Amino acid sequence: MLDSGAAVPRTVRRRSYGRYVGSKVLGSIGSLFFVLVVSFFLFRVLPGDPARTLGRERFKTPEQMAAFRHTYGLDQSMPQQFVTFLKNVFSGQLGVSLRYRVPVADLIQERMWPTVLLVGSSTILATVIGVRIGIRSGWNRGSRFDKSSTASTLTLYSMPEWWLGLLLIAAFAVGMGPLPGLFPTSGLHSIGVDPSSLKGVLDTAWHLTLPVVTLTLAYLAEYSLIMRSSLLDELGEDYLVTARAKGLRDVQVRRRHAVRNAMLPTLTISALNIGFVVSGAITIETIFSIPGLGLLTTEALTIPDFWVLQGTFLIASGAVIAANLAANLLYGLFDPRVRT
Amino acid sequence: MWALTYDYLVNYSMKDMSPEPGLAKSWETSADGLTWTFHVRDGVKWSDGQPLTAADVAYTYTRVLKGETESTNWATYLGSVTSATAPDAQTVVLKLSQPNAVLPLLPIPIVPEHIWKSVSEKAVKTYPAEPKPGQPVVGSGPFRLVEGTAGGSTFRFEKNPDYWNGTPHVDEVDYRVFKAKDPAVQALIKGEVDFVEDIPPLQVKSLQGKPGITAHSGISPLFEEIGFNTGAIDTESGKAIGDGMPALKDPKFRHALGYAVDTKRIVQNAYQGAALPGDTIIPTAYDNYHWDVPADQAFTFDLAKAGEQLDAAGYKKGADGQRTDPQGKPLTTMRLFARSSDPASVNTMDFFKEWLGQIGIKADVTAMDSSKLGDVILSGEYDAFQWDWYVEPDPDSILSDFTCDQLGGSSDSWYCNKEYDAMYKQQNGEMDHAKRVDLVKKMQELLFQESPYIVTAYTTIGEAVRSDRFACFQPQPDPGGVWLIQYGAHNYSSLRPASEAGDCDGVTSALGANASSGEEDAAGTNTAVWIGIGVVVVLLLVGGGVLALRRRGTEGERE
Repeated sequence: MLDSGAAVPRTVRRRSYGRYVGSKVLGSIGSLFFVLVVSFFLFRVLPGDPARTLGRERFKTPEQMAAFRHTYGLDQSMPQQFVTFLKNVFSGQLGVSLRYRVPVADLIQERMWPTVLLVGSSTILATVIGVRIGIRSGWNRGSRFDKSSTASTLTLYSMPEWWLGLLLIAAFAVGMGPLPGLFPTSGLHSIGVDPSSLKGVLDTAWHLTLPVVTLTLAYLAEYSLIMRSSLLDELGEDYLVTARAKGLRDVQVRRRHAVRNAMLPTLTISALNIGFVVSGAITIETIFSIPGLGLLTTEALTIPDFWVLQGTFLIASGAVIAANLAANLLYGLFDPRVRT
Repeated sequence: MWALTYDYLVNYSMKDMSPEPGLAKSWETSADGLTWTFHVRDGVKWSDGQPLTAADVAYTYTRVLKGETESTNWATYLGSVTSATAPDAQTVVLKLSQPNAVLPLLPIPIVPEHIWKSVSEKAVKTYPAEPKPGQPVVGSGPFRLVEGTAGGSTFRFEKNPDYWNGTPHVDEVDYRVFKAKDPAVQALIKGEVDFVEDIPPLQVKSLQGKPGITAHSGISPLFEEIGFNTGAIDTESGKAIGDGMPALKDPKFRHALGYAVDTKRIVQNAYQGAALPGDTIIPTAYDNYHWDVPADQAFTFDLAKAGEQLDAAGYKKGADGQRTDPQGKPLTTMRLFARSSDPASVNTMDFFKEWLGQIGIKADVTAMDSSKLGDVILSGEYDAFQWDWYVEPDPDSILSDFTCDQLGGSSDSWYCNKEYDAMYKQQNGEMDHAKRVDLVKKMQELLFQESPYIVTAYTTIGEAVRSDRFACFQPQPDPGGVWLIQYGAHNYSSLRPASEAGDCDGVTSALGANASSGEEDAAGTNTAVWIGIGVVVVLLLVGGGVLALRRRGTEGERE
């Protein structure tokens, strides 16, 4: 289905899709390597010394401090540590957490899925609902729906997430007035429930309802407003007039022509946000005590737990780079113009 | 949480955390203080059925003495111990190079040799000691961990029916780690959890009087201080480093400032009344070691007196009303540092700045992240800071923080005084308890006079419990202390469902009379205790007996 430049005028040399993919992938690998280097040095300039933080009131002698540093490779010179770090990464290890004494890879694996569940489902829900709201507002610009939806999504957008979360906890978890407390106040699953059983899955869903609703409400405006404005841009275009002139019904004009073209910017944002899924949502994870990557990162900052920070930073950047790459590749597929 | 899983050789009493029998029924010391003999209880079993003997104890201590990682974490408690042996199944003998009065308090969890001998020196670094399905962690404590991982958010403990000190009255203790305090309190009100811990004083006030809930601020061995830069030096060369205010090297100058600190107001405003005014570095919770400052020496909030003392020490006011040093040069602005993570810290320093201004000393306040502040203190580029300490049941540790040995280590005031160091050494080896107490009090007096710290408050820990469901919480220290997170696990053995409280077997229930007829848990006697612990600081998991760096829960991150 893809032309490889045969049908285009010779003055513009279009690259083939294969070469386009190659260049993008190489670019991504380059960025990833850059991130590797940055992550190492970025966290080394943090104030604080893990041996002192973790050893307050416990390590009494300089020997104990030295022993701790030696055990975790903190007494090596910076270049040496960097080499160790690279070796580790290329052999698929991310080091050992200074605080929890477990391999960082295990920690990240454990914390990853709550975050992905929480932020992932919120992003998807917000995209779907936001886009629909945006289409309806844009198409009927100035209508009562348009005014009220714009006002309310903007209000939600400007509310602090944690405050919204606390309000929802008070209203739906503890119960207010006639409302019973329907949902758990926080946490990810009930104690003593096996998370892999059906009961456990339902239990987790029940625990995640409030946080997901909070995040979805907070993200809505981003999608609905972008969708609305891109649709408005399309409204004045000639092809819509043509479509109407052909006698198409309003719904068909909207679905087949206007929305299709207006979706591109929204897709870009979605793709980028999907990349940010693994960074976690720190405030919401805190309010609802969800053991996700966001919390892991902020808690590691205070020590500073270098290996954990590097691990989470790498994973988060890797995800963003991958999401970008995916978006680029899709664009190249759908829109040959970008391949120049 | 360790105390649930493992036993200590020697326990901490509820009254004042002094030593009392644990795994060891009794112990004696040789006349020269170099040999300690402990007699281990008969019939104690590990949770996998194997007997617990003196060999396990000796093995645990030897591992701490010999292993690199283990010693990093625990050796502090085995100061001067050269060997730990078990001549027979009921006897443990510790040999020392010099007397050590801190023994017998050894908060080292005793681990089973038959499990740990397969964990090599290298593997210990990351040995998790986590439960696998159907296989709880092998320990000897009143409960055993059946669910939970390092850094996790839920931990489940089941009771140990064969516990040597009697079967616990509740079947299960569950911990949930809350990352925010408000939701934890909401969960208590709703009844999702039965106990919350480390909640702010305002929350305690709001919970008091709610039906079925009892809340209080429990005395806890914490103190808050304003610390001074008494002269930072490079520990290698002995040269001065940093840019501390020279006047602060003068004990008289520092001591005079003590009269410019209104501890009552700090307690009222910074800690919402949930604290006691402080004076020395050993909190009143340890009333056996605490030195009571005589009324004629105590710091009263008296700006005129502070001024007189400054005048007498040569820091007179210049023409512009600002104080000068004895050479007549105006004093520089005093730089006060507070920790941004703690509103009370910033609050205290703002007050201090105001009071200093009233006695003619300019000051400014900077709030920063605590790890950054740690670096600033190490570099000596500060004049005063606000921080806190959690004091262990034996005073040795906090006293050592003011010795010259700790410069560049745990010391944050750069205090160094040969006379003090001599007293420290002496008390550490003083086997006569009364004499040692006397020395410890003298050391507090010296620190009070020389004022490297001005102790501002003894803070409390807020706790609240569903007293309609559970009763028989004995406070530690008794009376007035905390109900749950204590030294040792006694209270987990004594707490029980409210319906079966009775007279709590003579344990004076801290919660007073339980006349409430709240709804009972459906299962009657099979009540599972759900204890949610609202910790914003993080509880560190019992990750392998000799491994995890654990401070008491609430003290988790005092950094």
